[in-house]
Amino acid sequence: PRVDPYGFERPGDFDYAAYEEFFSTYLVILTRRAIKWSKLLKGSGRVQKSPTVKRYVRKGVPLEHRARVWMALSGAQAQMDQNPGYYQRLLQGEGDPGLEDAVSTDLNRTFPDNVRFRDSAQPSLQKALFNVLVAFGRHNRGVGYCQGMNFIAGYLILVTRDEEESFWLLDALVGRILPDYYGPGMLGLKTDQEVLGDLVRAKLPAVGALLDRHGVLWALLVSRWFICLFVDVLPVETVLRIWDCLFNEGSKIIFRVALTLIKQHQALILEATSVPDICDRFKQITRGSFVMECHTFMQKIFSEPGSLSMAAVARLRERHRAQLLAQG
Amino acid sequence: MSRKKTPRSKGAGTPAANGPRPARSGTARPGPDAPPNGSLQPSRPSLGGGDFYDVAFKVMLVGDSGVGKTCLLVRFKDGAFLAGTFISTVGIDFRNKVLDVDGVKVKLQIWDTAGQERFRSVTHAYYRDAHALLLLYDVTSKASFDNIQAWLTEIQEYAQHNVVLMLLGNKVDSAHEHKVKREDGEKLAKEYGLPFMETSAKTGLNVDLAFTGIAKELKQRSMKAPGEPRFRLHDYVKREGRGDSCCRP
Repeated sequence: PRVDPYGFERPGDFDYAAYEEFFSTYLVILTRRAIKWSKLLKGSGRVQKSPTVKRYVRKGVPLEHRARVWMALSGAQAQMDQNPGYYQRLLQGEGDPGLEDAVSTDLNRTFPDNVRFRDSAQPSLQKALFNVLVAFGRHNRGVGYCQGMNFIAGYLILVTRDEEESFWLLDALVGRILPDYYGPGMLGLKTDQEVLGDLVRAKLPAVGALLDRHGVLWALLVSRWFICLFVDVLPVETVLRIWDCLFNEGSKIIFRVALTLIKQHQALILEATSVPDICDRFKQITRGSFVMECHTFMQKIFSEPGSLSMAAVARLRERHRAQLLAQG
Repeated sequence: MSRKKTPRSKGAGTPAANGPRPARSGTARPGPDAPPNGSLQPSRPSLGGGDFYDVAFKVMLVGDSGVGKTCLLVRFKDGAFLAGTFISTVGIDFRNKVLDVDGVKVKLQIWDTAGQERFRSVTHAYYRDAHALLLLYDVTSKASFDNIQAWLTEIQEYAQHNVVLMLLGNKVDSAHEHKVKREDGEKLAKEYGLPFMETSAKTGLNVDLAFTGIAKELKQRSMKAPGEPRFRLHDYVKREGRGDSCCRP
């Protein structure tokens, strides 16, 4: 089977014609963005958050600059600079068999469809994946290792091609950007699923009513979206474009993506007549040309859901978090 | 196993049959409803699947991370083994399969769950709608066997009191050292009154049998004809289950 630029084998039923059609247009955009970014980055030592950078990031960071831009905007670079040698010391530090077993169990189950993650690859990225996840587990003992982080670390390794940078980016995501998705109680995850429910009820009331009528838990529909940050849910290029914004603008981007997917396919979802049917449709809406055409998709996530202030998200989070804690 | 009584379980001899359960109120953390929720449905297209069935049940696969839940499901569903092509299950997912049980089309809606402990707080909300639970350990992992007790506690707390439960020791084909002897599994199963088999998702050993046994039990609970001999799941798996002697390296 043919392999994409990231090492993923394309599935047997991959629609090459549709992809070619999209990519010929996207290539023009990529080229234009690459020139713009080269100018922006030329001379300046470090990328900093600014309205210009935000606009640039929303239009996509070129792959060759992605690691540098993510590192700078997420604060990972600053952490790495302030803690020289820390990553190596973690790797050489005291082991925890429970942690190492949990990580090892998932090594062969992380991107078996990616040739670089194969056991047999030379070198296999499984070693880097193991190191990054174990180092993170030793660094953040409260979180340790949570399934889902394997997919995130895997993408970070593919983009940065550097273990230490991947480690610091994972730390930025888990420690600062995402609110407690992966800790033992997964409270932040449960909270955000409820927040999405509220946002859907407010912005797409017909869908909200359908889901409430069927009593479907949001966890069933979207837990993968949140835990894996859309890895293996949406196409690779689309996920990376989403992460561009995630590292710069924070976790509310996840709600924008979710709301856009649901709004775009509202009619399809509303035809569902049972919980399994709703589940199937929530899988369907993550496939096809709408999500493959990442540039248009990223424009839509900033227009379709309407306004979404961080303050409003924070209020909803606070309310649901308190409710969940009260429920025990 | 001494089961905790819950109001829900009072007087209910069958999990699934005869009439819908009370409607759920509002949005107060309801569970997902298996479409016919185990109740009898006249043959009609199942929504979403396109296949016909007479009765449907919800089965959940539980057990530690890496014991082979997804592989067992895929072996049963597609007759294939996912050698190195599957990813760790994050969250919860399901697949349907329709079985013919004595002329009745039984649809099993099989829920596959993440095994890591912290995901239990996300997945146990689904236990209460399950009609059957397949509890797996890995015969090459002592830890996964030791955790069976914790899983049973979790099941007692969250599942229906009369849920059909089966213990499976998976990966019995493995060339790795078997850390859990068949006798250990049998002993534990006996202690808790559970039907038990050793399985292999790789070779298919006893996989169809496990699901068929579950389907027969659930079907009879929901629609036993008068005079029909009672189906006994324990006897069935004991009689039909095969050893793994053929597959040892």
